[in-house]
Amino acid sequence: MTKIAKPPQPSQPQDAASTATAGRPRKRAQRTALLLAGSAVLALAACREEQTEAAAFPDEASCIAAAQAGSLFFTEADCRAQFAAAQQEHLETAPRYASRELCEQEHGAGACGADPAATGQQGGGSIFMPLLMGYMIGSMLGGRGGVTQQPLVRNASGGFSNPSGRASFATNAGAGRVAQGTFTRGPTTMGQPAMTQAQVAQRGGFGASNTSRGGAGRSVGG
Amino acid sequence: MKRISLPERPDWRARAAELGFTFADMGGAPYWDESSAYRFTLRQIEDDIEDPSTELHAMIREAVGRAAQSEEWLTRMAIPRPFWDFIAQSWRAGEPELYGRMDLSYDGTGPAKLLEYNADTPTSLYESASFQWLWLEEQQAAGVLGPETDQFNAIHEALVARWAEITAEGEDIHFAAFKENPEDYATVEALAWAAREAGLGAHFTDLPQIGLTDQGQLADSESRVIGTLFKLYPWEDMLRDEFAPQLQPSGTRFIEPPWKALVSNKAILPLLWEMFPGHPNLLPAFREEDVADALSGGSPAPSVARAFEAATDALSRGYVTKPIFSREGAGVTIYESGAETERAPDDDYTQHAMIVQALAKLPQMGGAYPVIGAWIVGERCAGMGVREDESPITHNLSRFKPHYIED
Repeated sequence: MTKIAKPPQPSQPQDAASTATAGRPRKRAQRTALLLAGSAVLALAACREEQTEAAAFPDEASCIAAAQAGSLFFTEADCRAQFAAAQQEHLETAPRYASRELCEQEHGAGACGADPAATGQQGGGSIFMPLLMGYMIGSMLGGRGGVTQQPLVRNASGGFSNPSGRASFATNAGAGRVAQGTFTRGPTTMGQPAMTQAQVAQRGGFGASNTSRGGAGRSVGG
Repeated sequence: MKRISLPERPDWRARAAELGFTFADMGGAPYWDESSAYRFTLRQIEDDIEDPSTELHAMIREAVGRAAQSEEWLTRMAIPRPFWDFIAQSWRAGEPELYGRMDLSYDGTGPAKLLEYNADTPTSLYESASFQWLWLEEQQAAGVLGPETDQFNAIHEALVARWAEITAEGEDIHFAAFKENPEDYATVEALAWAAREAGLGAHFTDLPQIGLTDQGQLADSESRVIGTLFKLYPWEDMLRDEFAPQLQPSGTRFIEPPWKALVSNKAILPLLWEMFPGHPNLLPAFREEDVADALSGGSPAPSVARAFEAATDALSRGYVTKPIFSREGAGVTIYESGAETERAPDDDYTQHAMIVQALAKLPQMGGAYPVIGAWIVGERCAGMGVREDESPITHNLSRFKPHYIED
């Protein structure tokens, strides 16, 4: 994962004398963001920052076995609690597909099942999602000393990914350091969510109209 | 309000380059120009710019409430019929606005007059909120300006607070603009930093790279579904692009919300005048269709006859015609005593319906014509930027001028 620049620190006034005009409220901000860092920095948002310890397991039992061996940053109780959390998060955030074929196209043959959350609803049983293929435990940064988790599903290239698809791994059994953003919970997918990987059918549908611009490259503003 | 010559910061070009402000010079001429600055009194700022602009915004919201449910006004504003409901829904649902910029004619005395409100895709935000702010801080530090001077510029903090107010905690926001246009991009980046400071995820995507998923949602250049989209791209164009029919079904939340299509539209100016006739910060305004005959000696449409008569004196002194869709002064023509005295060189927009607005001449100071840009964040005026031009019609090569407050 690439390390990128942090957002620029908001600028502060340079001298104390300028911070207040005696006896009346000041009309300007105490700070502002001065740096125009460029589109590459904004495009790469979110997931590439600090690294954290992580371990992946195909199931709860192998996590417990590793905890009993005692060399890692989590306990048996963490294994159980985080497995339950991973199951729930998988249910809530795994990508949804309209057919098993579509799902298997993205996650491989035999890696998909019906969405249990959709049964009982109208059209229930027609939604498919990748099966839970294990989970990943990570230590939380920021001195809280806790652990966190992400469910793992199969991806199209035969490896494993978290539900948002932002982080991919070759295996679901191993330990190492990953970007902390890997443990960011994906958005809820029940009911067509934001920020999941999606199949893009068509691009270029915006930008062609020119009711208010003289030509390409000209500002839309004024 | 005075135009004061001041020494430039010797290193401002290097500062601009270091900060990524790449368009400080445009087309060989300086765009950022600090060889002089505009000085205002606190009373001028608060009583003549800030409070009236906040009040104007509230009046404009009332006008939107009326236009959004009026087939007549939606037609007059050239909103394509399939999107009437989309726009009206966004208003009824109370979708919150983020920002806008009112262009005001003001000379330091008397009420500022609203020329138009770019409430959809205003640019020059970075210059106003950031580089202008830095100018004041550095000029104070250099002793060019006294420690008691101030600036009407709470824009950044107001944006941070507004983002936090109108979004869910940690929400992901996509920012779309034309990547190759540095002016547009800078405005988007200034908004994105404010969003990040408010704890949101900010992601840039090049506007033409936006895609449509097989599920009918919008997706960014990395194929991630877009939940909330800030688009620096006019609603009148969004509603005419190929993806227009997908806007509502996509479930995307748009910022600015769709009802801003009614605000940035200059047809709102005649509606405002109809609803608030004689308001000190408004200019008499009419749809050209209603008054074209009357201006050449005939009679106005019956529905505006009385208002037209009341405005006859003002209009015979001078008036301006402008297309309902235009940016940066394009398509504007000035008439004084019935004869054309000034025409914008660029008339790309004149195929659209036109409005007629009484002339509020920009003051001439030091050979230039300054126009006030009053920034609205949420529902309040939060800062100001001044642009000036050699011509009485401010256009896209105007210069940005810093301002300061000193009593």
